[in-house]
Amino acid sequence: MRRFSLSLEQRRGIKGYAFISPFLIGFVMFFLYPFIHSVILSFHTVDIQRESGYGLIWEGLENYRYMFRVDPDYNRHLVASIQNMFLNVPIILIFSFFAATLLNQKFRGRTLARAILFLPVIISSGVVMRFQDDPNALRSLLEAGLSVDPSTGAQTGLRSFELSLLLNQMLPPEMTPYVSYITGAVDRIYDLVNASGVQILVFLAALQSIPPSMFEASYIEGATGWENFWKITFPMISSWFLVNTVYSIVDTFTAYSNPMMIKLQRVGLEQQQYGRASAMAWVYFAIIMLLMGIILKLMSKRVFYYE
Amino acid sequence: MRIRLRAKKVNRSVWGNIAVFTMLALTAAFMGLPLLFVISNAFKPLNEFYLYPPRFFPQNWTLTNFKNLFIQLSNSWVPITRYLFNTVFITIVGTTAHVFFASLAAYALAKHNFPGKKIIFTSIVMSLMFTSNTLGIAQYIILSKLGLIDSQFSIIALNIGAALGLFLMKQFMEGVPDSLLESARMDGASELRVFWQIAMPSVKPATLTLIILQVQGLWYNTGSSFLYSEQLKTLPVALSQIMQGGIAFGGMGAAAMLIIISVPILVFVINQANVVRTFTTSGIKE
Repeated sequence: MRRFSLSLEQRRGIKGYAFISPFLIGFVMFFLYPFIHSVILSFHTVDIQRESGYGLIWEGLENYRYMFRVDPDYNRHLVASIQNMFLNVPIILIFSFFAATLLNQKFRGRTLARAILFLPVIISSGVVMRFQDDPNALRSLLEAGLSVDPSTGAQTGLRSFELSLLLNQMLPPEMTPYVSYITGAVDRIYDLVNASGVQILVFLAALQSIPPSMFEASYIEGATGWENFWKITFPMISSWFLVNTVYSIVDTFTAYSNPMMIKLQRVGLEQQQYGRASAMAWVYFAIIMLLMGIILKLMSKRVFYYE
Repeated sequence: MRIRLRAKKVNRSVWGNIAVFTMLALTAAFMGLPLLFVISNAFKPLNEFYLYPPRFFPQNWTLTNFKNLFIQLSNSWVPITRYLFNTVFITIVGTTAHVFFASLAAYALAKHNFPGKKIIFTSIVMSLMFTSNTLGIAQYIILSKLGLIDSQFSIIALNIGAALGLFLMKQFMEGVPDSLLESARMDGASELRVFWQIAMPSVKPATLTLIILQVQGLWYNTGSSFLYSEQLKTLPVALSQIMQGGIAFGGMGAAAMLIIISVPILVFVINQANVVRTFTTSGIKE
């Protein structure tokens, strides 16, 4: 009997394991295990001792009760984070798709334009971010700078205040919520544009992997640029909307500026309540997972896959 | 390709061009502002640094900030080149290791079938969403058991299994046509060779994108809780110490910042200039 011989598919499967294992070892050691470890922590109080490392004191559901019932900020931050996600992610997606389409055109100085659009991602991380906390620094200046005339110090820029007045006068009152959505976006434009850099890059890479022969064929058939965009470009990269949605959701939820992240940082690192912070993070995580699952389920039905 | 370009020129009107250009110029101006501010600050003399309202352009351009920075750095206990080496080492080794292993894993996940594949991928995607601060304790314990605390390999090891790269690469690997890989296998290429010579070149835009993201992440890495020895610390740590020196060090801080952000920007520009269309579907008839 051929007891020890494997089918071709199985042999390839073994190679698959071999290929995946270096990454997987790193992943299991530094992400999966810590991930499970934090579940255990969330049911305990972590007691840090100088000599023996740390000890765990069993608390049951106390940490979970605490965050919903006692903690003054948790529920508020949770709701705010979810609201922000729903407000920001669509705008980020639309903007980054738009920017990527423009940057994919051939024109002189394209690389420069791409670099400039990616700048916020480079600037807004690491050291520079810390520098931005400075009262005289970049960010406050930028936010003010857009509306403050440097020579006179007078407010000159078009802030959303004027914009919303303008739009509200023009439109019927039942449109007000939509108006405030748009004007809110104008107010947060610095953050939104900041959050779009990676998505633009992903869309760009995706746009570049559309086979050019498709466009060629459609141009020969006499299609216009507009038709090409909606009938080739858009369906071909629709699956990348999924990827970018995942990325944007993760990014808005776990950004350092997110109030929930600041809260977790404070509870965990400054107050050294690791157990409590783990419990908070886990509830937060579970909610993100749930939302993400629902959103992806809804989106993946409309996505077109080219075979 | 050539046909398409010619057709495009006929189709797109001058006004279309102007509209696209204006749009891009406006957004670019908006995003370029902070950089402009960093540059101008680096060249401002100290007495103009804290002027209110702030000015975008210095009245007297000066190189004093850079000079002071170098004097300050050459007097420090650990020479600046040591910090620079640490950061460059972490960035290069970390990026290479992550890009290689993540692509390898992504290739296997996208193009091979084996039991447990789905669970592995799902758990990797899930880990994207988990916040890093609560993973800290366990990561530290594991690293210390491996004896990697206070070693640059702690940063590199942590980085190998990061989920984002795999997620990105897997999505792109899915798009590589199976028939292309199959034909290479039929010609006798080993699986590793198929990966390296067929699959990797086909996803070049994605690889370059991932490199940008990695360099960007590692270049700014401070190794905060894993590196203790002064001679192992990274450039951002050295520079932020200068910036914390107070008001008098503001100009130096700006000069330091200009130097440090110029590297990721450079990497980005070089990479993006090299992104070319990949013709994975060329030569395939189905």
